Amino acid sequence: MKLKDYQRLTGAIALIAAVSTMTVAGCGRGRDGASHGGASTGITDSTITLGITTPLSGATAGPGTCTVAGIKAYFGAANAAGGVKFGDGKTRKVEIKSLDDAYDPQKAKANYDQLKGSVFAMTAGLGTPTNRAYRTAAISDKVPQVLVMTGDPIFNDTSQSPYQLSLVPAYPNEGEAFGKLLASSGTAHKVAVLSQNDDYGQGYVEGLKKGIEGASNIKIVKELTYEATDTSVDAQITELAATGADVMFNAMSITPLAIASLQKAQQLNWKPSWFLPSNTSSPAAILKPGNASAYPGVYSVSFAKAPASPAFANDPDVKKFLSDLKQYGSYNETPAFPHCMWSYMAGAILEQAFTKMTEPTRDNFMKALRGISDFKAPLMLDGTSVNTSVDKQPAVSAVVVQKYNGTGYATVENFG
Amino acid sequence: MFRSPGLFSRAWVRRAITAIAVIAVLAVPLGFDEYTNQNLARIGVFAVAVLGLNVVMGYTGQVSLGQIFFVGVGAYVTAYGATHGWNIGVVLVASILIPGVIGLLVALAAARLGGLAIAMLTLALPIVGVPLAKRLSDYTGGSQGLSSAFSSAPEWSGLYNDQWQLYVVLVVGGAVFLLTRNLVRGKYGRAFAIVKSNEAVAASMGISPYRYKVLAFTVASLIGGVSGFLYMAVVQFTSPETLSLGHSVTLLASMVIGGSASIVGSLLGGAYYVLAPQLANHVDPNTTELLQGALLLLVLFLLPGGLVSLPRVIARKLRRNRPTGGADRQQSSSGAPARGRKAVEEAPTMSGIPTGRPE
Amino acid sequence: MGQFIQLVVDGLSNGSIYAVLALAIVLVNQATGLINFAQGGMAVFSAYITWLLTEHGLSLILAILLSVLASFVLGALVERLVMRRFERGDPDTAVVVTIGLLTLITGICGWLWTYNNQQFRSLFSLTTVSIFGAAVSIRSIGTFAVIAVIMLFLQALFLGTKFGLALRAVAINPKSAALSGLPVGRLLMAGWGLAAALGAVAGALVAPQLTLTPGMMDTALVYALAAVILGGQSSPVGVVVAAWLIGVVENLAAVYVHFIGYDLKVAVPFILTFVVLVVRPQGLFGRKVVARV
Repeated sequence: MKLKDYQRLTGAIALIAAVSTMTVAGCGRGRDGASHGGASTGITDSTITLGITTPLSGATAGPGTCTVAGIKAYFGAANAAGGVKFGDGKTRKVEIKSLDDAYDPQKAKANYDQLKGSVFAMTAGLGTPTNRAYRTAAISDKVPQVLVMTGDPIFNDTSQSPYQLSLVPAYPNEGEAFGKLLASSGTAHKVAVLSQNDDYGQGYVEGLKKGIEGASNIKIVKELTYEATDTSVDAQITELAATGADVMFNAMSITPLAIASLQKAQQLNWKPSWFLPSNTSSPAAILKPGNASAYPGVYSVSFAKAPASPAFANDPDVKKFLSDLKQYGSYNETPAFPHCMWSYMAGAILEQAFTKMTEPTRDNFMKALRGISDFKAPLMLDGTSVNTSVDKQPAVSAVVVQKYNGTGYATVENFG
Repeated sequence: MFRSPGLFSRAWVRRAITAIAVIAVLAVPLGFDEYTNQNLARIGVFAVAVLGLNVVMGYTGQVSLGQIFFVGVGAYVTAYGATHGWNIGVVLVASILIPGVIGLLVALAAARLGGLAIAMLTLALPIVGVPLAKRLSDYTGGSQGLSSAFSSAPEWSGLYNDQWQLYVVLVVGGAVFLLTRNLVRGKYGRAFAIVKSNEAVAASMGISPYRYKVLAFTVASLIGGVSGFLYMAVVQFTSPETLSLGHSVTLLASMVIGGSASIVGSLLGGAYYVLAPQLANHVDPNTTELLQGALLLLVLFLLPGGLVSLPRVIARKLRRNRPTGGADRQQSSSGAPARGRKAVEEAPTMSGIPTGRPE
Repeated sequence: MGQFIQLVVDGLSNGSIYAVLALAIVLVNQATGLINFAQGGMAVFSAYITWLLTEHGLSLILAILLSVLASFVLGALVERLVMRRFERGDPDTAVVVTIGLLTLITGICGWLWTYNNQQFRSLFSLTTVSIFGAAVSIRSIGTFAVIAVIMLFLQALFLGTKFGLALRAVAINPKSAALSGLPVGRLLMAGWGLAAALGAVAGALVAPQLTLTPGMMDTALVYALAAVILGGQSSPVGVVVAAWLIGVVENLAAVYVHFIGYDLKVAVPFILTFVVLVVRPQGLFGRKVVARV
């Protein structure tokens, strides 16, 4: 090596080392996850800190921002009211540390590495690959990774994921609920399927098929997929319209594509009954621009009240939620994504667990969290509740099927 | 910066410094806390990826937007091999060779095209790679990805996982850096440079631009494979998102930020890739994109040659200031504005009155 | 047969989205010899300006016109204040600067207007007419027509006006252009300004369909780049035809080539580009460039 290289190399190494060291607060190896007095990391007598890694930039930043805003709104209000009373008799303020992972698993893992030294538990983060990226690390570090927003069933299997629990119904649960409704209609239906080409879309389709299993009146006539990055699904809609199906099962998580699908089918004069999943069923943000009233029925599944729905305009839950969201979540619009409501509920569920916690440890918290049954979190629809003690099920597994009525949704028992 | 050339040019001093540097680097994992070690390991992973990109782009002048694809393939091969109980040596070799072979095939086609067309074809790799990874779900785990903790510290080492992983990165990455340094400093490096500066001249000298482009591209994909192996060792998870185009574009930016056609620059590029998002998150997690874009522009405004040019720029400033202060400085800045801001600003306006007529 | 025609029409309408962005990229490329990755981001920013004006009660047409003007100024400023410093240096650095610009502009949009989807009113209605048995929306036809007009305008500008010739002279050899008395700096600013103004039109055309988000143009940018290379970099007609071709072939391949399907249809523009470039290195409509040694 030449002389100059030495100087540059040593300089570079010194620089990198210095910058990396800067990013860590104190030194020393707090490896056991337990600090003073047997309490776990991230909890003191007066505070508890929760960590979130979620997409706050990039294509999924819309819902991602909601996952932070909702929980901040909930605990912001709780803190303002004095804090949360824990099962060990102490009252603690809840602090949230959120980091952006831009839906990149590598960054999610890095965020987790950064947060785990200072937070009690990870929560509310959105995304299957990003949550999977640090799942194994969280298990070996014994850091709870709870009420995260993914429909991936692995997070609810206690033998595989002892420190995990997801919040929202597994994707198949939602598809199955609609499938059952369809099967019980008693009349013959031809179903066209358009699903996102990943575990999300596959989960919905799998659920649908399970729901209509053995029902001879339901026939799936065509199944197509799209990529989440596509700019258009016109060709798919054209192809599906040609089947003449009278039911469209649209397992889609992308807002503009959901609107465009509704619009395109009308242009082709194809007007089937339409199914949309819970996260793309916003009346104001999707159904109205998509002119959903043109269809005989638009169905969705849900467990949360839709704040944009006129039926809930004077609902006390919804009013408090919207004002908390504005005041403590720095979120000024009426949310178009249900993730805002979901993470608000996650806050309520966590509070339930906190009140049952008798020791300030992560293990005790996991036990408390798994002992919640029939809890009705704010914003929950009638017929749904939180049950955390059932293995292989998320915190919320029950959903109700709803039908669009031109302005909002109403729960339905029968198809048609 | 220290400078006393007499001392440093002696062979034994240089050897001693090498020894001290190696010992210092090897002691690093033992001295830092867990998070720092993990960050250093991540920097190593992406420094290797940037190094590969530098071989094809920095040294040989062929824009590649596909580097992350080879990282992703390397990571997938590693994950597949590790979960199927392959010998770790076999895993390493396969994770390098498979991306290398794919790279060679792509290069044989792409190097036929010139300039932007190569950029275009390499752009296709991550774009097509993501849906391809989903389609091959039997091997890749589909959109849910693959996890593998094959890089946990073995019992006999007595090390923590993060220390062990950093050692893996230091040894494997260090070897790659050393080999690449030898490659680009030797006759191949000179050939790359000639191909970069002028293909016609290269051809007239008997250096086939096509063959050297293919070689550079293949080496870049081999190194990308190593980076993928290390990615899996450090992150322990891969999914289709690993090889998304956005990351490839960020790698390219990191290469230029670190310093194009520079070994040390690759290291700095890796550091930028890992630390820039963390820095942005530290400032405000809600505006990370804005902050990273501003940081990138700021660095290039101050150092168009990348971070690696910082000592050079400082040295030049010092040299300018040294002689006799004020008057002299004014003279030198107007006298020799060969590069830098002044020259660039002046050039377009020296054309004079805007007649706008091309006659 | 009806489905085939419908797929072709759908493909053309998709292609139009790529085409309008590709035109802006060609314009900057013509003026600077540079591929501007920030072009999509700048178009999104312009679309936000339009949207903001309509939210304040302006009519859509007026909002678009004002946004076009503002974008021209902003584009020229970006050239003068940011790009100017890098135009004579390493081209790789200049490209990375445009990547930095893209990130910064996207970040600014997200910061100012959130990452939520905003509804953007359309110039054209969604009612359909029937052409050869295929349903075509007025919006598709309108977009198609606007693109055709811009394309012809640019083609005429590049080939038929002294301004266009001067722009190209600057891109090909800035030094000689400066020596022969051309105001290089102003021409570069005008080139960037025009491209940004064009971006404003692009944004207004595609935002109703894609809904306004900071990353709205990300995928379209990839296709637009493919169209630019396939069409031959220098020819407005070439890139528009290439974009339409890509839209149509992509749809047909997804439906009729079973191996490709909807998941891998994104490979189609690249395969198409590769095949064409092997046969015609200068692209479909490009001129052959003879490099001097």
